Amino acid sequence: MVNIVFKFFIAISCLLIFRGLLAEPLLDGADFDYGEYLSGQCLTCHRNSSDEGIPAINGAEALYIAKKLILYKNKELENEVMQLVAGALDEEQIASLAIYFNSLEK
Amino acid sequence: MNNLSRRSFVSFALASTSLLAMPAISTGSARPKVVVVGGGAGGATAARYIAKDSKGAIDVTLIEASKHYYTCFYSNLYLGGFRDYDSIGHSYDNLSANHGVNVVHDWAISVDSSARKVRLGSGATVSYDRLVLSPGIDIKYDSIDGYSVEAQTKMPHAWKSGTQVKVLRDQVLNMPKGGTFAMVPPPNPYRCPPGPYERISMVAHILKEKNPTAKIVVIDPKNKFSKQGLFMAGWEKHYPGMVEWIDNDTHGGIKNVNPETMEIETDLDTFKADVACVVPAQRAGAIAMNAGVTDGDWSPIVPASMQTKADGNIYVLGDASVASAMPKSGFSANSQAKVAANHIRGELTDSRVFPAKFSNTCWSLVATNDGIKVGANYKAGEEKIEVVDKFVSKTDEGNAKRKKTYEESIGWYNGITTDMFS
Repeated sequence: MVNIVFKFFIAISCLLIFRGLLAEPLLDGADFDYGEYLSGQCLTCHRNSSDEGIPAINGAEALYIAKKLILYKNKELENEVMQLVAGALDEEQIASLAIYFNSLEK
Repeated sequence: MNNLSRRSFVSFALASTSLLAMPAISTGSARPKVVVVGGGAGGATAARYIAKDSKGAIDVTLIEASKHYYTCFYSNLYLGGFRDYDSIGHSYDNLSANHGVNVVHDWAISVDSSARKVRLGSGATVSYDRLVLSPGIDIKYDSIDGYSVEAQTKMPHAWKSGTQVKVLRDQVLNMPKGGTFAMVPPPNPYRCPPGPYERISMVAHILKEKNPTAKIVVIDPKNKFSKQGLFMAGWEKHYPGMVEWIDNDTHGGIKNVNPETMEIETDLDTFKADVACVVPAQRAGAIAMNAGVTDGDWSPIVPASMQTKADGNIYVLGDASVASAMPKSGFSANSQAKVAANHIRGELTDSRVFPAKFSNTCWSLVATNDGIKVGANYKAGEEKIEVVDKFVSKTDEGNAKRKKTYEESIGWYNGITTDMFS
């Protein structure tokens, strides 16, 4: 039994290490400066100091931001404004925004 | 080459090349100068982004007459009693404290585009390398027979926020029981396309509670308007029988207004009002006219940068520009400001310039917790700003969705004012 648990632990560890070694495809081609420029479009509505009405996104995990944007782009998440904004973003732009907002202080 | 050693030739050549590669204006020791005229959604955003993103490499001066800026957006919500007046007022203090913007509270009187100087009301002049004009609208008082600067206290347009909206609110609150509120919306193109109809909704909201037998008559110089189906369904739902909208084909045209008798004469009839909001036609703020960057009433721009077609050193943002598919709104001006800021910074400091990307959403409040919205995003075409995709609220969406849309608009208001003034 201990052996099985140990093997499982090793397998999971290897998987995590392997995953870490691979660059996250969703964040491929991220360009920080481009993200900073594109963030202007988000900052008309999103602000850091409050979640009232519209969520604060500064400092969120890059992968989380990228996945959310893709869900809006594919209209799998509700909200017309976000579907519109994300719908006009390509992969590079999504990755750039994700790493830029991740870099900001919460 | 005889008297010139190889080494000094190479240095000379390198120096020449680097001089050529640099923008002409940054060859001197002084920082390049950007002057922004108008501290609204376009101007305040442009000043803030240029100063913030250039990290002090560009000297930014913002010229704005008012010390406190009262936003036009949400002034209807103040009118309807959903916001207090102070909550739509903002100061410029953070622009200087946080980003080093030199804020000058004065009027820009004239532009000498060949000398690249702006003359102020005080008589002082300010030099620029790039000039951003974001003056908003001027009212064409003579576009309606009988209307004038003096008439605006009796029949306020209240289309520039501030004290006139206060006057209008007082007039609505003190209207005789069972009286008539008349609204004359402006002809196209004008600032804030859904604004007149949100205003009607807000007046109806007050009257329903305080003066339920009062009537609202809308004498429109147009035959259709923004979010028409949504507004009209909302009026019928929340204020049944109170609002009568008369299109141009029906009344045959507005002939004149009389602020003394409070009458509005059309081909069809003469309407007598107890309170009247009359919003005339509009044009670009006077400074854009003076700078020679207008064609007719507005300034044509290059979509990729917001530079004027007339003068590459002058940018025009927001209501004063011909932004084609983009409506004249605070959101549009804020969006255009970021495109211009990126372009100006690139020109003056060689920073990277990214492709223009524009967006706009206009939220309107029809009644308590009944918010609607229309939005689009845009790209820079060769000649015009073009729509990429758009949406509009649906007439059959539920109450919960409408409440959420209203809450989202509060988030947006706080977001955009932070983006302008923090």
